[in-house]
Amino acid sequence: MSQSGPYLEPATLVRREFLPPGFWYLTLRAPQIAAAAKSAQFVALDLPGTFMVRLPLGIYTVQDDTFSLLFQEWGERTRRLASLAEGTAVSCIGPLGNSFRLPEERTTRATLVAGGLGVAAMWLLARELHNAGMDATILLGARSANLLVGMRELQIFGFPLDVCTDDGSSGFRGTVIQRLQALAPPGVLYGCGPPGMLRALCAYANDHGITCEVSLEETFGCSLGTCWGCVVPVRRGCPQGTGYPRAESETRSFDVARVCADGTVFRAADLVWQT
Amino acid sequence: MADVTVPQAAPAPDLSVRIGSATLRAPVIAASGCYNKGDEFGRLTDVGRYGAITLKSITRYPRLGNDMPRLAMTPAGLLNAIGLQGPGLDHFLHHVAPALQDVPTAVIASAAGFSVDEFVTVAAALDGLPNVVAIELDVSCPNVEREGRCFAADAASLAQVVAAVKQRVRLPVIPKLMPNVTDIRPIARAAQDAGADAISLINAVRGLVIDVERAQPVLANAAGGLTGPAIRPIAVHAVWEAAQVVTIPIIGMGGIAEGTDALEFLFAGATAVAIGTANFRRPDVHLRVLEAIEREMFRRGCRRVGELTGLANPGFAGPRPAAGL
Ligand SMILES: Cc1cc2nc3c(=O)[nH]c(=O)nc-3n(C[C@H](O)[C@H](O)[C@H](O)COP(=O)(O)OP(=O)(O)OC[C@H]3O[C@@H](n4cnc5c(N)ncnc54)[C@H](O)[C@@H]3O)c2cc1C
Ligand SMILES: Cc1cc2nc3c(=O)[nH]c(=O)nc-3n(C[C@H](O)[C@H](O)[C@H](O)COP(=O)(O)O)c2cc1C
Ligand code: FES
Repeated sequence: MSQSGPYLEPATLVRREFLPPGFWYLTLRAPQIAAAAKSAQFVALDLPGTFMVRLPLGIYTVQDDTFSLLFQEWGERTRRLASLAEGTAVSCIGPLGNSFRLPEERTTRATLVAGGLGVAAMWLLARELHNAGMDATILLGARSANLLVGMRELQIFGFPLDVCTDDGSSGFRGTVIQRLQALAPPGVLYGCGPPGMLRALCAYANDHGITCEVSLEETFGCSLGTCWGCVVPVRRGCPQGTGYPRAESETRSFDVARVCADGTVFRAADLVWQT
Repeated sequence: MADVTVPQAAPAPDLSVRIGSATLRAPVIAASGCYNKGDEFGRLTDVGRYGAITLKSITRYPRLGNDMPRLAMTPAGLLNAIGLQGPGLDHFLHHVAPALQDVPTAVIASAAGFSVDEFVTVAAALDGLPNVVAIELDVSCPNVEREGRCFAADAASLAQVVAAVKQRVRLPVIPKLMPNVTDIRPIARAAQDAGADAISLINAVRGLVIDVERAQPVLANAAGGLTGPAIRPIAVHAVWEAAQVVTIPIIGMGGIAEGTDALEFLFAGATAVAIGTANFRRPDVHLRVLEAIEREMFRRGCRRVGELTGLANPGFAGPRPAAGL
């Protein structure tokens, strides 16, 4: 069995592709990270400039000794990454974080629910399900048809791709959650996307008693689990939580977990959504 | 420096430093709150090259910490409001402390508290844990017994807590001061007079970032502590001023990201330096800093790293080791 990392490895940008209207698809060569990457894991990139912390991005696809990233220009670090020339080496730490757990029963039908760039966490999961000989449906959601990404890379697994757009410009008109409600309940759910979508997905799963795992994002500092800057509330007793005893003066009834090191994947049943 | 004599076969430079009764193998320390006990960084770099690792500040009772968001980036800085999240003393002693014996270098345990009693209880319990060679006091919390005035901003309060801890603790005691004071000198003097074996300078600088679009502070806690290169000149100045009024060692920190940054602190009067935020970007930052210190020692013909301390500070009050061999 190969070691699982994480590694501090220079990654060489071998290919950059702009996907209109505003996404980037970059391929980087980093043999150790590529070999170890599992679903929902991410890399932390050190970009040239006066940035205090690394940029966390999900590992999208993996091929041979390369992996790819799918992102948009959110702010300065993603802008800087998009501007790098092919051939540039970037210091990378990865793969980081835990992974989605495959169902124990091979006959369980999985539904993967991706909102927007949340699709970045789904390719490796689809590959793992495919390699395990399992069946899956992929729900892809975006505001509008031109913002749909990921279909090109995801279709190689042969799983049905069910597209939803808020404005109906492609596929089902409505959100992925509305689409989910219209379908027969799946055996297991996996999700990644904006917080509102994940919250609704977890509510749906919990209401229907369906096992559901979601990959979360937060503002990261260290990306490694040492700064405690990226926590989310989880149910007390959740094995991913701190397990600290509750102080007498503590009014909050939940525990917390670090998204970077205890996640990014959490079970819907363990998450506590604050208003 | 034109006429630096380069020894033919240079003896290995002596990087060790003394902090009270503790000897550290190197003058570079991992700062509190940024490193856990080194397990995570140990998978990426040689943590054992650090002279010591400072643990996250431990409080008497468990703390869940602040709500999210807890972090915001600023130009050359990082604003954090973690809220002293931690297991509390009892849970720490049972679940974390035993593993300290596996840390590949010395450990500085950090105690935080909201009253003198809390500090004493926590510090006394940390004294004697495996690998722990000194106790740092995170005195940047409000003192509930003195109208919430921050220990580090009130010389009398600080002196009281240091003296009380010294009575109960055998290991060197290192209060960690805050730059948010009008004059750091009387505070540093009060720490020394109360029996501190060394002082750490500086803790994070108070700051606040507003999200203009939402017209709200970015952090859930509103205010936070600013760290990183943005605060380095503030930190170097604090070390410079304190080094003119105390003779105990100073551990300098705040914005060290490169070797030359660490030299600034040593030249200002620090005996050792600590690195926090820069680890996040470069897990091997301490190796670069050590290399730069060694290079500087070689360039100046120093055998012991202590010879660099206070070089730039004409008012340096600490012990100045004889230069050269
Ligand atoms: C584990 C993990 C995996 C990630 N994977 C991906 C990925 O595969 N693809 C991708 O595009 N992004 C991904 N992100 C998000 C990305 O890391 C952040 O968007 C990051 O803040 C961008 O850094 P920046 O310096 O470019 O922008 P920043 O300066 O950090 O942010 C710029 C502005 O955009 C806003 N913003 C940032 N992120 C988001 C967001 N996700 N949703 C809404 N507003 C936001 C900020 O509030 C800020 O105002 C991931 C984040 C995490 C934690
Ligand atoms: C995320 C984070 C958490 C911190 N937590 C603590 C803490 O618990 N106790 C403490 O004394 N200092 C804490 N600090 C302050 C650092 O130890 C250090 O004094 C400060 O960050 C300045 O150094 P730097 O610029 O190298 O980070 C923390 C800093 C950061 C960034
Ligand atoms: S980002 Fe530092 S603990 Fe998660």
